Formats: sequence, structure tokens, C-alpha cells
Amino acid sequence: MAETLGNLALGFGVALSPPVLFYAFVGCVVGTLVGVLPGVGPLAGISLLLPATFGLDATRAIVMLAGIYYGAMYGGSTTSILMRIPGEAASVMTCIDGYAMARKGRAGAALAIAAVGSYVAGTVSVVALMLLAPPLAAFALRFGPPEYFALLTLGLLVLAYMSSGSMLKALAMAALGLLFGMIGIDQMTGYFRFAYGIVELGDGIGVVPVAVGLFGLAEILATAGQPTPPEIVKPRLRELLPSRQEWRESAWPIGRGTVLGFLIGIVPGSAHIIASFVSYAVERKLAKRPEEFGRGAVAGVAGPESANNSATSGAFVPMLALGVPSGPIPAVMLAALMVHGVSPGPLLVTQQPELFWGFIASMYVGNVVLLILNLPLVGVFVNLLRVPYPILYPSILVFCILGVYAVNSSVVDIWIMLVMGALGYVLRKLDFETAPIVLGVVLAPMLEMALRQSLAMSDGRYAIFVARPISGALLAGAGALVLLGLRPLVTRTLDWRARLALAAKGEEHP
Amino acid sequence: MMLARVCALVPCLLLAAAAAAQEPYPTRPIALVVPFPPGGVADLTARPVAAALEKVLKAPVGVVNKQGAAGAVGMQSVATSRPDGYTLLLALSSISIIPEADKLFGRPPAFTVDQFAPIALISADPTILVVPADKPWKTAKEFIEDAQKRPGQIAFSSSGVYGTLHMAMELLSHAAGIKLRHVPYAGAGPALTAILGGHVDALASGPAVVLPHIKSGKLRPLGGWGDKRVAALPDVPTFAELGYRGAEFYIWAGVFAPTGTPEPVLAKLRDAARAAVEEPAFKAAMDKLETPIVFKQGEEFRRFFEADARRLGEGVRRVGKVETQ
Repeated sequence: MAETLGNLALGFGVALSPPVLFYAFVGCVVGTLVGVLPGVGPLAGISLLLPATFGLDATRAIVMLAGIYYGAMYGGSTTSILMRIPGEAASVMTCIDGYAMARKGRAGAALAIAAVGSYVAGTVSVVALMLLAPPLAAFALRFGPPEYFALLTLGLLVLAYMSSGSMLKALAMAALGLLFGMIGIDQMTGYFRFAYGIVELGDGIGVVPVAVGLFGLAEILATAGQPTPPEIVKPRLRELLPSRQEWRESAWPIGRGTVLGFLIGIVPGSAHIIASFVSYAVERKLAKRPEEFGRGAVAGVAGPESANNSATSGAFVPMLALGVPSGPIPAVMLAALMVHGVSPGPLLVTQQPELFWGFIASMYVGNVVLLILNLPLVGVFVNLLRVPYPILYPSILVFCILGVYAVNSSVVDIWIMLVMGALGYVLRKLDFETAPIVLGVVLAPMLEMALRQSLAMSDGRYAIFVARPISGALLAGAGALVLLGLRPLVTRTLDWRARLALAAKGEEHP
Repeated sequence: MMLARVCALVPCLLLAAAAAAQEPYPTRPIALVVPFPPGGVADLTARPVAAALEKVLKAPVGVVNKQGAAGAVGMQSVATSRPDGYTLLLALSSISIIPEADKLFGRPPAFTVDQFAPIALISADPTILVVPADKPWKTAKEFIEDAQKRPGQIAFSSSGVYGTLHMAMELLSHAAGIKLRHVPYAGAGPALTAILGGHVDALASGPAVVLPHIKSGKLRPLGGWGDKRVAALPDVPTFAELGYRGAEFYIWAGVFAPTGTPEPVLAKLRDAARAAVEEPAFKAAMDKLETPIVFKQGEEFRRFFEADARRLGEGVRRVGKVETQ
């Protein structure tokens, strides 16, 4: 412990030196910006700035790139809350209740809760990263294909079990998402599936055009289709801050989101979007009044926003402790280290203590910077809602198209977004939830790959899924959940989902 | 139809020829297309190449990442771009694999190798065979003998089906007469994670990424695919030394222009590339990446490229279409 404190002191010495502080600040500002812009996510931001870091020393470069990464998680909530457009993929869940809050005039509160939740999650998870990195990284490595498959199966069942409204509709949407996810090159055999000769479709359908189309475009279309423009609830200045009750209601979701996000972030290959989905589902399940979810429940903002932030720190665990990339963003950051002649790996902590501890300390500092940066911005961003629709919506459309194009410089992506926008509009009119589609698109390639890799490992024997302890335990959990889901059929009691439906009915016929 | 196409081409060619004759090349910015995302081997090689070329050619050289379909999107875009020397390609070995795989599946090829004029080979990194340190094999010979006894039992991870790391293993399997079990991953990073987690038994990899894990004692190197031993691992023999012929494999990076680029422009680019690899800044950058500079140009590069393409083409055909159980 004393050693850790000594190391941390060394780290703060590095992190608080003016040049490092400056680059942390630049990273945080850029991160907030790419997070705010719809479509452009942290990966695009980091990739664009990577060449600019080649002239810096390794510590400054990595501190700046990390700032972009976790900064984007702060910024991502902004457009989700104000316009129902996910600023980056992990903010999809925030769209649902954040936007509902904004319509009730609580946009300021939602933004502030998101910023504070992100701050708490960011800071607490750095402590976890600092203390637990080596043992956790070793554990994360034990996740091979069978464990992934079990984890993803469990995740899908958890989400189906906890979705509101019709379970059948939610499952149908997840299945549609999984089908979209099948498009593209078959990683195991090299066959192109459903590509119709379009080379770009060989990579499959990206999550960004799908998320922006289903949420952003569909919202614009739906609003334009209303006979009278929706009344804008103009935020009053003194209502910018969350009320005492809203704070109380978000405290536990922030805590739970932090823990969940960190744990999910560690597992290599999992995405932040999964952390925020799981957090949302858990909060709805634990809520005293689950019927409020989807209508502006503050817990539906606090949980997922905290989860996606602490997933960022979780993702650094395998990267720093083992030199193993846990996703595309840590992979780019590892490349940045290699460019500076720092070989990332298990020896990084001992060979480059200044880099490692400076990096850790800079994350404490960066999170404070982001909180200071984002809280005043709440007032600025909320004023965007005062812009009249005829000006606001076309501008949003332009930003969506630019953002989606920027990710891969691909016109095909824009078409995908437009098709998804039309689909999202139709599905909204038919009362389908579109969030499970996004999840399906993300999970399909991972789920399929994990299943087939496992079978390649075992030479086709399915026993591999139960013979390995971690995957066996996860699958047992999934089985238990299926039984729980079937219970109401047997005992004829109303479960929370049925109560939810009743509550909804009561609201329609007061 | 044909006539129309030729007629359409003529003014193009005339223009290009005229431009080459009149204008000193280059007069405007040059795009160096990297068909992979930023941060990968190709991108990390391209950036110092672009910076060094810029200095020599005295014109801005910008790196453009055009990723997609394992590089096919970017390669296709250069293959069909105007052959004026202002659009160049930095490609890896996979440039000769993609058209072969397309042929195998009866797809209209995204591009063919004759659509590119080789300018210069920049680097060539032989892959090395690593196994987890807790596995029994101490030498390549033990590994191969065990694999002969248990065909299809020893599993290796790769960057993807028909990917470079898959082809390296395939060439070795053929040379040594063994059959290994292939577990493809989406990229070299996840393939490395898999072997570190003990989920597979072997991996072919570029030396730079596995060196830290060899030093920390988690992985053991058994052999190399190059014609020479890897400088950082002088005790690790090459497969050629051990008598496995025809397994030679490199992950190389080279610069190409679209076919039809005027010869004076190509000559200028070749000279520029030669000067560029001599730049101290370029050498330092490649040194940090632990990637050896191997420079070849003109005929020499063409011969290397053609021999490599032939080996890889045979490899792809031998693997054939992958059918899973």
C-alpha cells in the first residue's frame, strides 16, 4: 500500500507537470468534442490525432489519447439527452430516458447527472485499475471463445428478461439486429454473406450508422411527421441543477454502473455499449417504479453513463498490465506506445514506472478537468433547445451525415444510416423498441465467432462449453434465468412485467 | 463497346503523357493510401515513409487510411485511380492473397496484381513461431514431430482466414507435412491474446509484438520463417536451416503505383524511395517499431514480389475453401 502511494506520488509529479497537464487538457477537450458530434466516436478522434502525437514523448502522447477516450464518454451523453442522437455508440441507452427527461424540461438535470456519474465512475474505476490491474488482467485472459459465448448468451437472456413491454417484440428486434450483424465476410471461411458485390458490405454493417439512423434520423422524421410541432420546454436557469430527489435516485445507479462497467470493460473484446445496456437493464429491474423507465427515469441516465465511463478504465487493465489490446481503441493506443519505442507488455510497469504511474495519475486529473469542463457547458448546451426546429433539425441531419461519413470515409455507410432511419421511423410507429437492434448488430459477429472458434478448438464437441468452469457457471446462470422467465406461466402470479403493462393501461385510461 | 472504352482512354493517356512531359513531377500533394486503419503495421510504416518522401520530393505527401474488407477497399481504389503518380499505395503481403481468394470463391476480383506497378519494398519482417512457455515443446523439431503424431490436434490462432498469419502457418504445415487445427481471430491482436490466455497452442507472429512476452517468459520462440535469423533472437533457427524448404514467409510493406503511371514518374519515385529510406529520421522511426528496413526496387522488387505472390497463391489454393463442421 505504502509502495502504491509512493508510486502514485511519482505519478502525480509527472501528471501535474505543466506540459503533461496541458496535453491531458487538450485530450479532454477533443474527447468531449468528438463525443458531442454524432457519429464521430473516440476511435475516429484518436485515429485522427495519432499522427500528431508522433512528435511528443510517450507519456504526453498516451495521456492525450487517453483523455480523448474517456472524454468522449462524457461528451457522448450530450446529444443523446438533448436530441435523442447517440453522440457515440455507448450512449444509445442514454437516449431513451435522457431525451424523455429533456422533453419534461429536465435536460439540465440529466446532463449534470451524466457528468457527475461519469466523474464518479471515472475516478473510482481508476482506483480499481491502480490496485487490481495485474490480478484482474490474468483473470481476463482466461476468457477464451467458450467463455465469451457463455457470457454473451447470458447477456442476451438478461436483456430479454428485463426488457419492458412485450418480451416477444424485444426479442424480435434483437433477432433482427443479429440478422443485420450476419452481413459481411464470414470470418471463419472467408465467404461473403449478403454483400451483393458491394465491397464495403464485406466488413458488415457498422454500429455507428445503425445507431445514428435508428435513433437520430427516426426522431427527426417522427417530429417532422407530427401535425403540430412539439412544444419546446424551455429550460429555466434555476432548473439546470438536479433536484435533491434526483440526486438520491441516481446515487445507487451510479455506484452499480461503476462496478458493472469496470468488470465488463476488462473482458477483452466486449464493447462499452454492452456495459451501458446491462446497467440500464439492471436499474430497471431494481427500480421501485420500473414503469418510469422510458419516460424520464433519472436512474436510466445515471447508470449507463457511469457504466460506459468505468468500462474505459476497465479496458486499460489488460492493455497496461499485459500489453494486450482489449478493443480497437486500446489497440491504437498500444500502437502509439510502440511508435515511441515503448514496448507494451507485462514488463511495462516495472520498466517505465513514470509512464505507467503518470498515466494513472493523469486519469485522476483528467476526470476533474472533464467535470469542470462539462458542468458549465450544461448551461450552454441546454440553450440549443431554444433553437427553432426548422433550423435545428436540418443542421442535425447535416452533422449526422458528416459524422457517419467520417468514420470510414464511406458513402455506403450514409446509405445504411438513411435506410436505418426509415426503418426506425416505421418501427417507432408500430411501437417497437429499437435499442435491441443496435445491441444485436454489436453482438452478432462476436457471438457467432465465439461459438465457431469454440467448436474449432474442441473439434466440434459441444462439451467444451460446460467442461470449462467459467463458461459452465455462466451458462448455468443463463439456464436459471430461463427458468425464472417461465415461472409466471406456472405460478400464475403477476411478475413485474405484467404489473408494468397494467400501469401503462391505467395511464391510458385514467 | 471495346472501341468506346479505348476512345475514352486515349485522351486520358494523352493527358497523362502530356502532363508527364511538360510538368515537373510532383507539382501538387501526393496521397499515400493505406488500406488499413490507423495504428496497424501498414499505417505505422506509411507515416515515416510519407514524411521521408515529402522531404525528398519537396511536395506534401499525405497518408490516407482507406480501410475495409481486409484491405480490398483501399487497394481497389488505388488500382482504379488515375495513373499520374499522385495516388500511391502502401500495401502488405495480403495484396497477393486477396485476388487469389477472390478467384477461389468465383467472385469478380476486386483488383488483380497486374493493376499495380511496384515502386519499392520498404520492410520485410519474417514471422516467428511462438508457443506458450508451459507447453512441452522446446524446439521446432519437437513441435513438428508431435504434430506429425497427432494430426489436427495442435491448435494455432491467426489474424483471420487467408490472413498473413494463417498463410505463414499453412506454408510451414505443407513444408513439414503436418496438419494443425486453425482457430481464426479477427486481427493479430486478438490472436496474440488467445495464445497468452492459453486457448491455443501456437502462433505465427511478427517478432516486434511478441518480443516483450518472450522476454517476460510467457512465450517461447521455436523457429523463424525468414532466410536469416531474427536479429533480436539469435538463438532461434530458421525453418530453412532446419530443412523445411519453401516455407519462407515475410510480412512485408511496399509502395505501389497504379499500372500505366508514366515511366519518368516511376523512376523519380524509385529514386525518392531510395533516398527516403536513407533518412535518419526514417531509420529511427523504423528502429522504434523494431521492423527491419529491407529495401528493394525496380527489377529486384518485382522478382521478390512475384516469387512471394506465387508462394502465397499456391498456399491459398492448397487451403482451398474452408468448410467447417
